[in-house]
Amino acid sequence: MFTSNNIVARIFERQIRTPAPSTSVHRARQFYENLVPSYTLYDVECPDHSFRKFTDDGQYLISFSRNHQDLIVYRPTWLSFSCKEEDCDTHDLPLKAKKFESFFTQLYCVSLASCNEFICKDFFLYKESNQFGLFATSTAQIHDAPAIGGAIQGVPSIEKITFHLLRLEDGVILDEKVFHNDFVNLAHSMGVFLYDDLLAIVSLRYQIIHILQIRDSGNLVDLRAIGAFCREDDELFLNSNAQCMAIPDKSKHQFPVNHLQNGLHRNLANLDNSFLSGIKQRLLSFIFQEIWNEETDPTRRVRCLKKKFYYHFQEYVDLIIWKVQFLDRHNLLIKFGSVEGGVSRNADHCSAFFAVYNMETTEIIAFYQNSSDELYLLFEQFCDHFHTSRNSLYMNFISSHSNNIHALEQLKCIKSKASVTSQFVKKMLAVLPLNCQSQSPSPYFDQSLFRFDEKLISATDRHRPSTDHPIKFILRRQPYSLKFKIKPGPEGGSTDGRTKKISSFLFHPILPLAISVQQTLFLQASVVNIHFRR
Amino acid sequence: MRSAGISASSGGGGGRPWQSTTSVSSSGKRIQKEMAELNLDPPPDCAAGPKGDNLYHWVSTIIGPPGTPYEGGIYFLDIMFPSDYPFKPPTVVFKTRIYHCNVDSVGNLSLDILKDRWSPALTISKVLLAIRAIFTNPDVCKFFQSILDNPLVPGIAHLYLADRAKHDEEAAEWTLRFAR
Repeated sequence: MFTSNNIVARIFERQIRTPAPSTSVHRARQFYENLVPSYTLYDVECPDHSFRKFTDDGQYLISFSRNHQDLIVYRPTWLSFSCKEEDCDTHDLPLKAKKFESFFTQLYCVSLASCNEFICKDFFLYKESNQFGLFATSTAQIHDAPAIGGAIQGVPSIEKITFHLLRLEDGVILDEKVFHNDFVNLAHSMGVFLYDDLLAIVSLRYQIIHILQIRDSGNLVDLRAIGAFCREDDELFLNSNAQCMAIPDKSKHQFPVNHLQNGLHRNLANLDNSFLSGIKQRLLSFIFQEIWNEETDPTRRVRCLKKKFYYHFQEYVDLIIWKVQFLDRHNLLIKFGSVEGGVSRNADHCSAFFAVYNMETTEIIAFYQNSSDELYLLFEQFCDHFHTSRNSLYMNFISSHSNNIHALEQLKCIKSKASVTSQFVKKMLAVLPLNCQSQSPSPYFDQSLFRFDEKLISATDRHRPSTDHPIKFILRRQPYSLKFKIKPGPEGGSTDGRTKKISSFLFHPILPLAISVQQTLFLQASVVNIHFRR
Repeated sequence: MRSAGISASSGGGGGRPWQSTTSVSSSGKRIQKEMAELNLDPPPDCAAGPKGDNLYHWVSTIIGPPGTPYEGGIYFLDIMFPSDYPFKPPTVVFKTRIYHCNVDSVGNLSLDILKDRWSPALTISKVLLAIRAIFTNPDVCKFFQSILDNPLVPGIAHLYLADRAKHDEEAAEWTLRFAR
């Protein structure tokens, strides 16, 4: 079979040969091997904003003002300039073209936050079908907030968290959803997950999963709240029942106290007289039934329950919801853990549990420990099923160990090196539930096309330690040659080798265009480079 | 014995009984004996065990008996043994919402053998059996006898006697919503 890396040869080949069934997109994507962002404009003069990301359809570049109060949206455009001389390819770009403005056109600037509020610069979700953007603003965090009104002790509080739904086309604010004295983990959009038009927001402080719908009309509509109750009308049901049910009068309601001795009275004061929350009841009853059904002999069953269930009962009761993702429109993957682990950033050492919850039937379907081999095997084989927001075609091409042989090999290599399997499993499962929209669909991160050092750069949207060496992108296929380099920071490298630098990369999902931003930890101006195909 | 028991109980929380006096350990021995008994011959559709390592604080589970409106429900109950057990009855509180005339709106259970008809000869297995029995036959008569003394949930008892079908329908709805 004739294959060539020459782009002209590839175009000819495309004309005369039909690709194998359902590989036409793969074939088309191979052109990215020829079209790479290999040219770098160093230290481009650009507005002093923090650049957040390209939307997944490539229509917008999202950025926030330095004071974290305004949203500035750009439209990526392709560089165009005129050249008087002949053979202009050999010339350097004219100075006028080496500007941020020649790649990006500002569409608008919207103020989202008032004086004591700030935009959470880590938070942005995009609803592609309507080109709606979801942003969050919040006031400062209070760490030692008293746990009042059913709040969880030890979870910080934020006076006001506002989610803003914007039409990115023109920057009109369509709707808002406000949470008062609550805590939603906004870093890397951890506490929020968008699936089609469904939005899950986890209130860590009140242990409620708010399910909202983003309507085409641009409204945020409350669908249900999972936590204290499971069905949306449970609370209403209970309240309307309470009216016909004679509620015992507090003064008369002395049972069982007045029948008992004083000693027990004091005991009762310590007794927490509250019902299990809706989701806890479901969870505990699922765990109970699993153990109950596992063992058929009654005596062994009771002993088993005593050891595995009742002994740990309080630990299960004390679990809090950490994080949630949608698996489909009905099923949620919920991570439960201790209070400490839910708040601290590095919670890998804490024990945690995963539950699959169907919000329609209000049933727990599965329950796993965070060292569960079973869940790990599911994750290894069906990783793509956890990445759910893949309705658009190109989102299917984000490399994972389930769809890419190279990523799988890499995983197997790490797995074989891991000395303790349970530790490895825990580490792998720590990414679950996945962060929403945290991966770039750029073809340059497609591991079937390019090989690169994942410690320095990857599709996952994270800040990374920066070195003075350029990051190499090497062809996966023959001739395995270096295709392009991405070098963050100033062209000549930094003068001070000791200061720690971090970089972030924004790749356009379609065009051979990327932005790298290098920052030192001190408040120096960041260095923005633009990488593109000249 | 009584005074020692009271002082121990005022200590509250978890892990309390271990370093305590002889009277507590005698109640502890009794509880342990009952635990062994329960493990050997558990009552049907019931299970129970100490929460953590506190022998005086148990959790019990009762599976809603088939053929009753509570079928399909899994009910969790808190059981607190007093330090002078078995001379005083344990306290049983529902942790799962239930529509039942013997359980009030915060989960307190009213059962004669846990009050004035308590006898030190009763054991936790018998208590569980008695609780399971009121799932099938709510204690309506006892309820009316003691109505002046202890008005728990007259509405439910009244409905049970007046319109059994409606009562069962309501109870089944509660089971579906809150006890699954």
